[in-house]
Amino acid sequence: MTNINGKTYAMNAITPLKPWKTLILRAFFFLLGLIKPMQKNLVNLSFIHFARWVIIPRRKFPYLGDRQKREQLRYDYLLFFSNFNGTWNQYIDAFSAVLSSGLNAIWGWTEKYPGAVPVTPFKRHIARCQFDTDYYYTAYPYATTNDVKAAHRVESAVRAFAAESRAMQPHEFALAYQKLLVTVQSDLGETGEPPVGT
Amino acid sequence: MGNRSGNVYGLTMLSPILDDPAAEMSHAVALRIYLAKLGRDEKSPFAKISSTHMARLVVMDDVVFVGYPAHEEHLKSKYLIFEANFDGDLDTYLERMAQETPDEVEAVWGHCVAFPGLTDPAKFVTYMKSCQLTTTFYFADVNDKTVKDTLRALQIQSGLATFIERSNEMSPAELRAAFAEFWKSVEESPPPLPAAKAVGVLPCFLSGKNSARVRGIP
Repeated sequence: MTNINGKTYAMNAITPLKPWKTLILRAFFFLLGLIKPMQKNLVNLSFIHFARWVIIPRRKFPYLGDRQKREQLRYDYLLFFSNFNGTWNQYIDAFSAVLSSGLNAIWGWTEKYPGAVPVTPFKRHIARCQFDTDYYYTAYPYATTNDVKAAHRVESAVRAFAAESRAMQPHEFALAYQKLLVTVQSDLGETGEPPVGT
Repeated sequence: MGNRSGNVYGLTMLSPILDDPAAEMSHAVALRIYLAKLGRDEKSPFAKISSTHMARLVVMDDVVFVGYPAHEEHLKSKYLIFEANFDGDLDTYLERMAQETPDEVEAVWGHCVAFPGLTDPAKFVTYMKSCQLTTTFYFADVNDKTVKDTLRALQIQSGLATFIERSNEMSPAELRAAFAEFWKSVEESPPPLPAAKAVGVLPCFLSGKNSARVRGIP
Protein backbone atom coordinates (compact mmCIF):
# COMPACT_ATOMS: atom_id res chain seq x y z
CA MET A 1 0.00 0.00 0.00
CA THR A 2 1.40 3.41 -0.89
CA ASN A 3 0.13 5.00 2.33
CA ILE A 4 2.67 2.86 4.19
CA ASN A 5 6.44 2.71 3.92
CA GLY A 6 8.09 0.42 6.47
CA LYS A 7 6.76 1.42 9.88
CA THR A 8 5.39 4.79 8.85
CA TYR A 9 1.95 5.70 7.51
CA ALA A 10 1.29 8.79 5.38
CA MET A 11 -2.14 10.24 6.02
CA ASN A 12 -3.78 13.02 3.99
CA ALA A 13 -7.11 14.63 4.83
CA ILE A 14 -9.02 17.68 3.62
CA THR A 15 -11.98 19.35 5.32
CA PRO A 16 -14.04 22.42 4.37
CA LEU A 17 -14.61 25.35 6.70
CA LYS A 18 -16.44 28.64 6.42
CA PRO A 19 -14.02 31.52 5.73
CA TRP A 20 -14.96 33.48 8.88
CA LYS A 21 -13.99 30.47 11.01
CA THR A 22 -10.53 30.40 9.44
CA LEU A 23 -9.54 33.42 11.51
CA ILE A 24 -10.40 31.67 14.76
CA LEU A 25 -8.57 28.50 13.70
CA ARG A 26 -5.49 30.49 12.75
CA ALA A 27 -5.56 32.13 16.19
CA PHE A 28 -5.73 28.69 17.83
CA PHE A 29 -2.73 27.41 15.82
CA PHE A 30 -0.84 30.59 16.70
CA LEU A 31 -1.39 29.89 20.41
CA LEU A 32 -0.51 26.21 19.92
CA GLY A 33 2.85 27.24 18.45
CA LEU A 34 3.45 29.84 21.12
CA ILE A 35 2.46 27.88 24.24
CA LYS A 36 4.55 24.71 24.17
CA PRO A 37 2.70 22.94 27.06
CA MET A 38 -0.35 22.86 24.73
CA GLN A 39 1.67 20.43 22.55
CA LYS A 40 2.45 18.13 25.49
CA ASN A 41 0.01 15.35 24.59
CA LEU A 42 1.11 15.40 20.95
CA VAL A 43 4.74 14.99 22.04
CA ASN A 44 3.92 12.37 24.68
CA LEU A 45 2.10 10.16 22.17
CA SER A 46 5.50 9.83 20.49
CA PHE A 47 4.40 8.08 17.34
CA ILE A 48 4.27 11.03 14.96
CA HIS A 49 7.50 11.88 13.12
CA PHE A 50 6.05 14.95 11.37
CA ALA A 51 2.56 16.43 11.06
CA ARG A 52 1.19 19.64 9.61
CA TRP A 53 -2.01 21.58 9.15
CA VAL A 54 -2.32 23.91 6.17
CA ILE A 55 -5.26 26.28 5.68
CA ILE A 56 -5.95 27.18 2.05
CA PRO A 57 -8.21 30.21 1.72
CA ARG A 58 -10.79 29.69 -1.04
CA ARG A 59 -9.14 32.27 -3.33
CA LYS A 60 -5.56 31.15 -2.65
CA PHE A 61 -5.38 27.85 -4.53
CA PRO A 62 -2.28 28.20 -6.76
CA TYR A 63 -3.24 29.68 -10.13
CA LEU A 64 -0.58 29.43 -12.82
CA GLY A 65 -2.12 30.97 -15.90
CA ASP A 66 -4.42 30.39 -18.82
CA ARG A 67 -4.03 26.64 -19.06
CA GLN A 68 -5.79 26.35 -15.70
CA LYS A 69 -9.34 27.37 -14.77
CA ARG A 70 -9.65 29.57 -11.68
CA GLU A 71 -11.19 27.89 -8.66
CA GLN A 72 -14.56 29.26 -7.52
CA LEU A 73 -15.09 28.00 -4.01
CA ARG A 74 -17.35 28.91 -1.15
CA TYR A 75 -15.25 27.26 1.57
CA ASP A 76 -11.69 27.56 2.80
CA TYR A 77 -10.01 24.17 3.25
CA LEU A 78 -7.96 22.62 6.03
CA LEU A 79 -5.36 20.13 4.82
CA PHE A 80 -3.80 17.71 7.27
CA PHE A 81 -0.72 15.56 6.64
CA SER A 82 0.73 13.15 9.16
CA ASN A 83 3.68 10.71 9.20
CA PHE A 84 2.91 8.31 12.02
CA ASN A 85 3.83 4.81 13.24
CA GLY A 86 1.33 2.00 13.60
CA THR A 87 -1.91 1.25 11.85
CA TRP A 88 -4.67 3.67 10.87
CA ASN A 89 -6.97 2.25 13.56
CA GLN A 90 -4.33 2.53 16.29
CA TYR A 91 -3.66 6.13 15.28
CA ILE A 92 -7.27 7.25 15.23
CA ASP A 93 -8.07 5.37 18.46
CA ALA A 94 -5.12 7.01 20.24
CA PHE A 95 -6.03 10.42 18.87
CA SER A 96 -9.61 10.01 19.99
CA ALA A 97 -8.65 8.76 23.46
CA VAL A 98 -5.80 11.13 24.27
CA LEU A 99 -6.24 14.24 22.14
CA SER A 100 -10.01 14.60 21.83
CA SER A 101 -10.14 18.15 23.20
CA GLY A 102 -7.26 19.24 20.95
CA LEU A 103 -8.87 17.63 17.89
CA ASN A 104 -12.19 19.26 18.69
CA ALA A 105 -10.46 22.64 19.05
CA ILE A 106 -9.09 22.23 15.49
CA TRP A 107 -11.66 20.31 13.44
CA GLY A 108 -14.59 21.65 15.46
CA TRP A 109 -14.44 24.68 13.13
CA THR A 110 -14.81 22.53 10.01
CA GLU A 111 -18.11 21.43 8.45
CA LYS A 112 -19.98 18.39 9.75
CA TYR A 113 -17.28 17.41 12.25
CA PRO A 114 -18.88 14.90 14.63
CA GLY A 115 -16.41 15.26 17.54
CA ALA A 116 -13.53 12.93 18.44
CA VAL A 117 -15.67 10.93 20.90
CA PRO A 118 -17.43 8.54 20.37
CA VAL A 119 -14.88 7.05 18.03
CA THR A 120 -17.19 5.33 15.50
CA PRO A 121 -18.63 8.47 13.83
CA PHE A 122 -15.20 10.10 14.19
CA LYS A 123 -13.57 7.30 12.19
CA ARG A 124 -16.33 7.40 9.61
CA HIS A 125 -15.79 11.14 9.15
CA ILE A 126 -11.99 10.78 8.80
CA ALA A 127 -12.39 7.97 6.27
CA ARG A 128 -14.61 10.30 4.23
CA CYS A 129 -12.11 13.18 4.35
CA GLN A 130 -8.97 11.11 3.78
CA PHE A 131 -7.36 10.50 0.39
CA ASP A 132 -4.58 8.08 -0.51
CA THR A 133 -0.89 8.72 -1.04
CA ASP A 134 0.54 7.90 -4.48
CA TYR A 135 4.20 7.92 -3.52
CA TYR A 136 5.75 7.82 -0.07
CA TYR A 137 9.41 8.02 0.89
CA THR A 138 11.14 7.88 4.25
CA ALA A 139 14.88 7.91 4.89
CA TYR A 140 14.52 5.53 7.85
CA PRO A 141 11.56 3.27 7.03
CA TYR A 142 12.23 0.67 9.73
CA ALA A 143 12.63 3.09 12.63
CA THR A 144 9.69 4.44 14.60
CA THR A 145 9.71 7.83 16.29
CA ASN A 146 10.65 6.11 19.56
CA ASP A 147 13.45 4.19 17.79
CA VAL A 148 14.86 7.48 16.48
CA LYS A 149 14.76 9.11 19.91
CA ALA A 150 16.30 6.03 21.57
CA ALA A 151 19.07 5.86 18.96
CA HIS A 152 20.02 9.48 19.59
CA ARG A 153 20.13 8.84 23.35
CA VAL A 154 22.35 5.79 22.81
CA GLU A 155 24.66 7.67 20.48
CA SER A 156 25.03 10.53 22.94
CA ALA A 157 25.81 8.15 25.84
CA VAL A 158 28.30 6.05 23.83
CA ARG A 159 30.11 9.09 22.46
CA ALA A 160 30.50 10.49 25.97
CA PHE A 161 31.69 7.08 27.24
CA ALA A 162 34.20 6.71 24.38
CA ALA A 163 35.69 10.12 25.14
CA GLU A 164 35.79 9.70 28.92
CA SER A 165 37.08 6.12 28.98
CA ARG A 166 40.02 6.62 26.65
CA ALA A 167 42.63 6.89 29.45
CA MET A 168 41.02 4.45 31.89
CA GLN A 169 42.73 1.32 33.16
CA PRO A 170 40.95 -1.98 32.33
CA HIS A 171 39.12 -2.43 35.66
CA GLU A 172 38.00 1.19 35.78
CA PHE A 173 36.94 0.86 32.14
CA ALA A 174 34.87 -2.28 32.89
CA LEU A 175 33.03 -0.50 35.72
CA ALA A 176 32.29 2.54 33.53
CA TYR A 177 31.13 0.18 30.77
CA GLN A 178 28.65 -1.49 33.16
CA LYS A 179 27.28 1.97 34.02
CA LEU A 180 26.91 2.70 30.30
CA LEU A 181 24.91 -0.51 29.83
CA VAL A 182 22.56 0.45 32.68
CA THR A 183 22.07 3.87 31.07
CA VAL A 184 21.27 2.57 27.57
CA GLN A 185 19.68 -0.81 28.32
CA SER A 186 16.12 0.31 27.62
CA ASP A 187 17.14 2.03 24.37
CA LEU A 188 18.65 -0.92 22.53
CA GLY A 189 15.55 -2.32 20.83
CA GLU A 190 16.32 -3.56 17.36
CA THR A 191 14.79 -1.88 14.30
CA GLY A 192 13.61 -3.97 11.38
CA GLU A 193 10.66 -5.09 9.29
CA PRO A 194 7.27 -4.10 10.72
CA PRO A 195 4.60 -6.66 11.64
CA VAL A 196 1.82 -7.03 9.11
CA GLY A 197 -0.85 -4.53 10.12
CA THR A 198 -4.38 -3.76 9.11
CA MET B 1 6.20 28.70 13.31
CA GLY B 2 5.12 28.38 9.69
CA ASN B 3 7.20 26.21 7.44
CA ARG B 4 9.98 25.48 9.90
CA SER B 5 10.31 23.48 13.12
CA GLY B 6 13.79 23.68 14.59
CA ASN B 7 16.22 22.67 11.84
CA VAL B 8 13.56 20.91 9.75
CA TYR B 9 11.72 22.61 6.87
CA GLY B 10 8.18 21.54 5.98
CA LEU B 11 7.42 22.15 2.30
CA THR B 12 3.82 21.94 1.08
CA MET B 13 3.06 22.47 -2.61
CA LEU B 14 -0.04 22.21 -4.77
CA SER B 15 0.77 22.10 -8.48
CA PRO B 16 -2.24 22.17 -10.83
CA ILE B 17 -2.16 19.16 -13.17
CA LEU B 18 -2.60 19.69 -16.91
CA ASP B 19 -6.05 18.95 -18.29
CA ASP B 20 -5.91 17.85 -21.92
CA PRO B 21 -9.26 16.45 -23.13
CA ALA B 22 -7.60 15.32 -26.38
CA ALA B 23 -5.01 13.17 -24.65
CA GLU B 24 -5.42 9.40 -24.83
CA MET B 25 -4.56 9.13 -21.14
CA SER B 26 -5.12 11.99 -18.71
CA HIS B 27 -2.08 13.59 -17.11
CA ALA B 28 -3.38 12.65 -13.65
CA VAL B 29 -3.57 8.96 -14.57
CA ALA B 30 -0.17 9.00 -16.29
CA LEU B 31 1.31 10.65 -13.21
CA ARG B 32 -0.20 8.05 -10.89
CA ILE B 33 1.17 5.23 -13.05
CA TYR B 34 4.65 6.78 -12.98
CA LEU B 35 4.56 7.29 -9.20
CA ALA B 36 3.41 3.72 -8.60
CA LYS B 37 6.56 2.45 -10.32
CA LEU B 38 9.02 4.89 -8.74
CA GLY B 39 11.47 3.25 -6.30
CA ARG B 40 10.95 3.91 -2.61
CA ASP B 41 14.15 2.33 -1.26
CA GLU B 42 17.73 3.57 -1.53
CA LYS B 43 17.14 3.98 -5.28
CA SER B 44 14.46 6.62 -4.64
CA PRO B 45 15.18 10.09 -6.03
CA PHE B 46 14.68 11.41 -2.51
CA ALA B 47 17.50 9.17 -1.24
CA LYS B 48 19.76 11.08 -3.66
CA ILE B 49 18.60 14.35 -2.09
CA SER B 50 20.00 13.04 1.17
CA SER B 51 18.59 15.82 3.39
CA THR B 52 15.04 14.43 2.93
CA HIS B 53 13.57 12.87 6.07
CA MET B 54 10.18 12.07 4.55
CA ALA B 55 8.32 13.10 1.40
CA ARG B 56 5.11 12.25 -0.41
CA LEU B 57 3.51 12.92 -3.77
CA VAL B 58 -0.26 12.75 -3.99
CA VAL B 59 -2.70 13.38 -6.79
CA MET B 60 -5.66 15.22 -5.26
CA ASP B 61 -8.67 14.69 -7.50
CA ASP B 62 -11.09 16.97 -5.74
CA VAL B 63 -12.17 18.40 -2.42
CA VAL B 64 -14.46 16.37 -0.19
CA PHE B 65 -18.20 16.74 0.25
CA VAL B 66 -18.87 16.01 3.91
CA GLY B 67 -22.67 15.73 3.61
CA TYR B 68 -25.72 17.98 3.92
CA PRO B 69 -26.32 20.70 5.04
CA ALA B 70 -22.78 21.54 3.88
CA HIS B 71 -22.54 22.97 0.39
CA GLU B 72 -21.26 20.61 -2.31
CA GLU B 73 -18.53 22.08 -4.48
CA HIS B 74 -15.74 20.81 -6.72
CA LEU B 75 -12.29 21.81 -7.88
CA LYS B 76 -11.76 22.82 -11.49
CA SER B 77 -8.26 21.28 -11.54
CA LYS B 78 -6.65 18.22 -10.09
CA TYR B 79 -3.55 19.05 -8.04
CA LEU B 80 -0.27 17.33 -7.36
CA ILE B 81 0.54 17.65 -3.66
CA PHE B 82 4.21 17.57 -2.73
CA GLU B 83 4.83 17.33 1.00
CA ALA B 84 8.44 17.12 2.19
CA ASN B 85 10.32 17.31 5.47
CA PHE B 86 14.01 18.12 5.02
CA ASP B 87 17.10 19.69 6.59
CA GLY B 88 18.27 23.15 5.62
CA ASP B 89 16.67 25.87 3.52
CA LEU B 90 14.17 25.74 0.67
CA ASP B 91 16.31 27.22 -2.11
CA THR B 92 19.13 24.72 -1.55
CA TYR B 93 16.65 21.84 -1.50
CA LEU B 94 14.95 22.88 -4.74
CA GLU B 95 18.31 23.42 -6.44
CA ARG B 96 19.38 19.93 -5.36
CA MET B 97 16.16 18.51 -6.81
CA ALA B 98 16.95 20.13 -10.17
CA GLN B 99 20.61 19.08 -10.15
CA GLU B 100 20.46 15.59 -8.63
CA THR B 101 17.11 14.22 -9.82
CA PRO B 102 16.40 16.00 -13.13
CA ASP B 103 14.78 12.99 -14.85
CA GLU B 104 12.30 12.39 -12.05
CA VAL B 105 11.48 16.08 -11.66
CA GLU B 106 10.76 16.34 -15.41
CA ALA B 107 8.70 13.14 -15.34
CA VAL B 108 6.56 14.32 -12.40
CA TRP B 109 6.14 18.07 -12.86
CA GLY B 110 6.04 17.73 -16.64
CA HIS B 111 2.37 16.81 -16.06
CA CYS B 112 1.72 20.13 -14.32
CA VAL B 113 0.57 23.53 -15.58
CA ALA B 114 3.32 26.08 -16.36
CA PHE B 115 6.24 23.79 -15.42
CA PRO B 116 9.17 25.57 -17.08
CA GLY B 117 11.52 22.59 -17.35
CA LEU B 118 15.03 22.51 -15.89
CA THR B 119 17.09 24.32 -18.52
CA ASP B 120 17.01 27.40 -16.28
CA PRO B 121 17.19 26.24 -12.62
CA ALA B 122 16.20 29.71 -11.37
CA LYS B 123 12.91 29.47 -13.30
CA PHE B 124 12.29 26.04 -11.78
CA VAL B 125 12.81 27.40 -8.25
CA THR B 126 10.45 30.30 -8.97
CA TYR B 127 7.84 27.89 -10.37
CA MET B 128 8.03 25.60 -7.34
CA LYS B 129 7.67 28.56 -4.98
CA SER B 130 4.62 29.78 -6.89
CA CYS B 131 2.95 26.46 -6.00
CA GLN B 132 3.96 26.62 -2.34
CA LEU B 133 1.47 26.95 0.52
CA THR B 134 2.48 28.33 3.90
CA THR B 135 2.11 25.74 6.64
CA THR B 136 -0.28 26.96 9.32
CA PHE B 137 1.07 24.67 12.04
CA TYR B 138 4.04 22.34 11.71
CA PHE B 139 5.01 19.63 14.20
CA ALA B 140 8.30 17.71 14.09
CA ASP B 141 8.91 15.41 17.06
CA VAL B 142 12.69 15.33 16.50
CA ASN B 143 13.61 18.68 14.96
CA ASP B 144 17.25 19.16 15.94
CA LYS B 145 18.84 16.21 14.09
CA THR B 146 19.68 15.89 10.41
CA VAL B 147 18.93 12.79 8.34
CA LYS B 148 22.64 11.95 8.48
CA ASP B 149 22.63 12.34 12.29
CA THR B 150 19.67 9.98 12.63
CA LEU B 151 21.06 7.32 10.29
CA ARG B 152 24.37 7.47 12.14
CA ALA B 153 22.61 7.16 15.52
CA LEU B 154 20.62 4.12 14.31
CA GLN B 155 23.87 2.56 13.10
CA ILE B 156 25.56 3.11 16.47
CA GLN B 157 22.53 1.81 18.37
CA SER B 158 22.52 -1.38 16.31
CA GLY B 159 26.31 -1.70 16.53
CA LEU B 160 26.36 -1.28 20.30
CA ALA B 161 23.70 -3.99 20.74
CA THR B 162 25.87 -6.35 18.70
CA PHE B 163 28.98 -5.34 20.61
CA ILE B 164 27.30 -6.02 23.98
CA GLU B 165 26.23 -9.45 22.82
CA ARG B 166 29.71 -10.20 21.53
CA SER B 167 31.64 -8.91 24.55
CA ASN B 168 29.63 -10.66 27.23
CA GLU B 169 32.39 -12.91 28.55
CA MET B 170 35.47 -10.76 27.97
CA SER B 171 38.02 -9.85 30.64
CA PRO B 172 38.36 -6.10 31.42
CA ALA B 173 41.50 -5.85 29.28
CA GLU B 174 39.87 -7.68 26.36
CA LEU B 175 36.76 -5.55 26.73
CA ARG B 176 38.74 -2.31 26.58
CA ALA B 177 40.63 -3.43 23.47
CA ALA B 178 37.47 -4.70 21.77
CA PHE B 179 35.60 -1.46 22.51
CA ALA B 180 38.48 0.59 21.10
CA GLU B 181 38.24 -1.45 17.90
CA PHE B 182 34.44 -1.08 17.82
CA TRP B 183 34.60 2.68 18.27
CA LYS B 184 37.33 3.09 15.65
CA SER B 185 35.10 1.17 13.25
CA VAL B 186 32.18 3.49 14.06
CA GLU B 187 34.27 6.58 13.43
CA GLU B 188 35.71 5.28 10.16
CA SER B 189 32.46 3.97 8.68
CA PRO B 190 30.17 6.13 6.55
CA PRO B 191 26.57 6.50 7.79
CA PRO B 192 24.06 4.05 6.28
CA LEU B 193 22.38 4.92 3.01
CA PRO B 194 19.03 6.74 3.33
CA ALA B 195 16.00 4.45 2.93
CA ALA B 196 18.08 1.26 3.16
CA LYS B 197 16.38 -1.77 4.68
CA ALA B 198 19.11 -2.22 7.30
CA VAL B 199 21.71 0.00 8.91
CA GLY B 200 24.42 -2.46 7.86
CA VAL B 201 27.14 -4.28 9.77
CA LEU B 202 30.14 -2.32 11.01
CA PRO B 203 33.46 -3.60 9.59
CA CYS B 204 34.74 -4.48 13.09
CA PHE B 205 32.15 -7.26 13.29
CA LEU B 206 33.38 -8.83 10.08
CA SER B 207 37.03 -9.22 11.12
CA GLY B 208 39.19 -8.70 14.21
CA LYS B 209 38.39 -9.01 17.95
CA ASN B 210 34.63 -8.51 17.54
CA SER B 211 34.09 -10.75 14.54
CA ALA B 212 32.63 -13.92 16.12
CA ARG B 213 29.00 -14.69 16.91
CA VAL B 214 27.41 -11.67 15.28
CA ARG B 215 23.62 -11.61 15.13
CA GLY B 216 22.34 -12.42 11.68
CA ILE B 217 25.77 -13.37 10.33
CA PRO B 218 26.56 -17.07 10.14
